[in-house]
Amino acid sequence: MTILETKGLYHDFSGLEVLFDVNLEVVEGERHAIIGPNGAGKTTLFNVITGTYKPSRGQVFFKGIDITGEKPFKLARIGMGRSFQITSTFHRLTTFQNLRMAVMSRLGIRFNFHRKVDKLQHVTDETDEVCGRINLDGERDIPAELLSYGKHRSLEASLAMAGDKELVMLDEPTAGMSRDETHFAVELIRRLTEDKTMVIIEHDMDVIFSLADRITVLHYGSILATGSPEEIKNNQDVKDAYLGDLEV
Amino acid sequence: MYFGAGGFGTAIALTHIQGLPLLVSVLIGFVSAVVLAIILSPIVVRVSGTAFAMLHLAFSQLMFVLVLKLRGITGGEDGVGGFPIPPFSIPGIISIDIMDPLKFYYFAIIVLGISILILWFFTKTPFGQIMVSIRDNPNRVNYMGFRVTLSKAVIYVVAGGFAGIAGSIYALFQNLISAEELSIMACFAPIMITMVGGVGSFFGPILGSGVFAFLEELTSRYTEHVELVQGLILILVILFMPMGLIGIFHIIKEKLFSKPSLQGTMESAS
Repeated sequence: MTILETKGLYHDFSGLEVLFDVNLEVVEGERHAIIGPNGAGKTTLFNVITGTYKPSRGQVFFKGIDITGEKPFKLARIGMGRSFQITSTFHRLTTFQNLRMAVMSRLGIRFNFHRKVDKLQHVTDETDEVCGRINLDGERDIPAELLSYGKHRSLEASLAMAGDKELVMLDEPTAGMSRDETHFAVELIRRLTEDKTMVIIEHDMDVIFSLADRITVLHYGSILATGSPEEIKNNQDVKDAYLGDLEV
Repeated sequence: MYFGAGGFGTAIALTHIQGLPLLVSVLIGFVSAVVLAIILSPIVVRVSGTAFAMLHLAFSQLMFVLVLKLRGITGGEDGVGGFPIPPFSIPGIISIDIMDPLKFYYFAIIVLGISILILWFFTKTPFGQIMVSIRDNPNRVNYMGFRVTLSKAVIYVVAGGFAGIAGSIYALFQNLISAEELSIMACFAPIMITMVGGVGSFFGPILGSGVFAFLEELTSRYTEHVELVQGLILILVILFMPMGLIGIFHIIKEKLFSKPSLQGTMESAS
């Protein structure tokens, strides 16, 4: 079953065409990677899907509902979570407090003024459980801005994944990580997105080929190819445009 | 502006309604400020940062002029004064005449204490958590499924309401509220106090207002140009203490109570 679909998506920034007739189809339960050279429009595609921008033409469907141009908070409420290429956490709050926001988001705790958040035991328990699952319990009470780079990136991706969203969109979760950190992050993503659908933008081929069930290659704003990792590896167009002589 | 709304709300109510209880008059001040904030919030909270400050200031000036012009209601430049100050009474239990400055002081302290407690609790609720998250990163809050603009409107209204209580107490103490309390200097004072005390912290502005009140008392003995000293302090704080005066406490706390930091281990290693 298709969970996310874009139909004839176009987007331009004051005349500069960034997306050109993008028809993306993400099947429920799969891990779908979007790859492509810098400037191919990967992040813009994310932004158009998650409601940052309204596309100039075309439609986006999530679980069969037309969500074109819907606001990010509405999309989050119907089960779409995303992370950012540029780390975007609550930098002055602790790891625990950051993750608690994701838990509160999942439980729909919003306009609650009459109880102390610390007294909501189920929220605390669940947040601690999440802290443990992402191996950040040692950093539970450290402000996000003081975390090491790798851990901060893990927290960034976890904010999207901890909310128990049906569809998780990760924008370069391993960017700038060391080899060990990347390895750890891949395992983390694998664990946290089990039984969920994930769309991931990545540059690291090892990450993509170890995580993705299907790959879409974006090139100059349009889709060059979609297929299994094997198909993509052997696709001549993709080799010419992007992978080149890369040993994959 | 909400300070003024609260002050005028209380003063006008006491002038026109005979035998109005004290706490009800304060409540009227609170409600007047809240109503004004609800009316303005849809416009004001859409923007943030400097644009928010400027828009807010513009509305304040509009109110200032309105108060000057609507002489029939607000008394123009003279303001509303000389209204009866009711005693602090809980029917059947106590009744204290707060005309005596010392008793008024205790009354003000109690109102202040209760307000601080309520606001402190407010920051500790789940909504308070969303509030500090918006401070850190409004964009992410939006992507996590919370309505940023609506939340900001709620915060704006609550803040306005408590400014209204402050104005109400002020009007009761002076037995007068006039347009001067809505002037640009009066509008700027809380911003200045917050910047000196510490932006984005709970106790920073409280500390800031204490420091400013103390300074005003002290400098006014020697010079008429109190604002000159205040301005100088504002500049010094902005230049050398970006976290405000409350930042000093954080630094001291870190020095005294922090676990051995990286710096510490490096020193011991060398």
